[in-house]
Amino acid sequence: MRRAALLALLLALAAALSLTTGPRALGLSDFLTALTAYDPHDPAHVTLMAIRLPRLVAGLIAGSALGVAGTVMQTLTRNPLADPGILGINAGAAFALLLGAAVVGRSDQAAIALFAFPGAALASVAVFALGGGLRGDAGPVRLTLAGAALNALLLSMVTAMVLVRQESLDILRFWVAGSLTEAVYRPVAEMALLALAGAALALLIAPLIEALSMGADMARGLGTRPARVQAGGLVAVTLTTGAAVAIAGPIAFLGLMAPHLARPLAGASLRVQLGTSAALGALILTLADVAGRVILAPGEVRAGIMVALLGGPVFVWIARRLRPGAMA
Amino acid sequence: MRGAVLLALLLVLASVAALLHGQIDAAPSVLWQGLLTGDGPGALILDTIRGPRVATALGAGAVLGLSGTIFQTLFRNPLAAPDLLGFNAGAGLAIIAGIAFGIALPAPVLAAIGGLAVAVIVGALAWRRGSGTPALTIILVGLGTGFTATALATFLMTLLPGTAAAEAQRWLTGSLAARNWGHAAQVWGFGMALTILAFSQARPLMAMELGGELATGLGVRAEPARWRISGIAVLLAAAGVAVAGPVPFVALMAGPFGARMTGARSPAARMAAGAAAGALIVMLADLLARASLPGLQLPVGVATGLLGAPYLLWRLSREMDKGDL
Repeated sequence: MRRAALLALLLALAAALSLTTGPRALGLSDFLTALTAYDPHDPAHVTLMAIRLPRLVAGLIAGSALGVAGTVMQTLTRNPLADPGILGINAGAAFALLLGAAVVGRSDQAAIALFAFPGAALASVAVFALGGGLRGDAGPVRLTLAGAALNALLLSMVTAMVLVRQESLDILRFWVAGSLTEAVYRPVAEMALLALAGAALALLIAPLIEALSMGADMARGLGTRPARVQAGGLVAVTLTTGAAVAIAGPIAFLGLMAPHLARPLAGASLRVQLGTSAALGALILTLADVAGRVILAPGEVRAGIMVALLGGPVFVWIARRLRPGAMA
Repeated sequence: MRGAVLLALLLVLASVAALLHGQIDAAPSVLWQGLLTGDGPGALILDTIRGPRVATALGAGAVLGLSGTIFQTLFRNPLAAPDLLGFNAGAGLAIIAGIAFGIALPAPVLAAIGGLAVAVIVGALAWRRGSGTPALTIILVGLGTGFTATALATFLMTLLPGTAAAEAQRWLTGSLAARNWGHAAQVWGFGMALTILAFSQARPLMAMELGGELATGLGVRAEPARWRISGIAVLLAAAGVAVAGPVPFVALMAGPFGARMTGARSPAARMAAGAAAGALIVMLADLLARASLPGLQLPVGVATGLLGAPYLLWRLSREMDKGDL
């Protein structure tokens, strides 16, 4: 309980930082008056409500969604290096979004965003199958390399598409490293609902995933059907990852880090782990976004880059601790 | 032997095709005229447009292929290539850092520093006391270090003004656009020197491929040999990255492709085959990328990415079938 309170406090602090940090110096008192007596002619109020608040909300949703996705993936594949970014699921969703923008046109963001989900689902199935999931065990090296191949393939296709359609390289760079700056233009509310549905599903089937993570035979003995649990996990990962990518673009390593930080805090229960990892994901992404605003002020570094700077070394750290036998 | 001749023939044919074809196709007679008279559109193509590009592609592909073959032999693993191990990403990062901070060192030197730095980091982090470091640990640590280097490079790119950032982005994909004879001379000069060094290590490399203990039995001190050979291979990859960017998967594909085509067995023969195969892959990929779409030249890295990713997946499934992974 004390840990939950501490996490909530940290999240509140991060949120306050996120609201008050930026080129225009604003205090929390401004935010309170903007909430109670919004003045559309006051630039401070407009900045807070139209830029910083959507950005904060987007960060909280995308971060917690990725925290959930990472936890489900790591537990289900028994692979401590699983992450939607590393395994190419982000890239699948992002590529589908680009396709969607080409099909639907630029105007209808909510319709475009729906493309993220089939993209994420296809990529998840592909990486799991290619990484040896159908042969039994999708170990860290196999899955990571399959993810690297999928990432490279999709990145090449995105690069070709951006160049063929003569779009600005900014679009490409946005798709390579996610960002929260355009949150206000994105269908955050709809995506939040879908992410929530994914998280709820993950919480619902958490005991089944736990049973499955003891091995397929053991799970069958306990009355669990492995294929169904895997399908449920796939839906949960798809909903959370797709929503996160539609809001913030592909952000890698968040789903890797959050579960590892959550486990020592949460103990053995997967449900508690999911909640803790969601909170930590939101916390890390919000702080990364704040840091990106400060580090090169008045310029900005996209939140996805800040997370990756942290996440790369974490990947190495986890990889080093793997036992040689548990690696393939 | 027949395979080797075929590979050489293919390389010549691909080079000629790369000189003839592009956004605008040139007739062989036009090129011939240009070659003989040093004048006219043929000479322009040979001298400034496609000539230096083809020469650079040959050199960059060869050094990348050679580097990959050496690593794959040294670690006895077809997945150990400088692109997967993060060394190319390190070389790329150093060059982006050079642009961002205005460091006035030539690109190959920067790339060499970056590649070597990442190699030392990966080696130190993956090293385990006692038993030799497993190749899988090196691959995983290398992948992670490469992720970090790429993230740093993307971070540094936000420091650059718009046009320079677009240029850097294109370069990071792997591109041979606007290469001049200076680039070709660079990669051939460094490449030749390093290739001689690499072939001088063919015997210790053969011993290392047999395994650390056997190598010791043959009088090769395993650890120093591993570092020395790795260093040469990293420098080879860096020489390629300096002129063509971190072109993905060339180093990964070249060794097995060359060995399969020529049937080469000894390390020295496989190194030569890998270098030729690398040159062939880059040449064909670049031709495909710049000539297949009217009005648009894609960077070569897009083509090798599209070719290499399925290869990596196939190789992965092969290794799983064999039980090596």
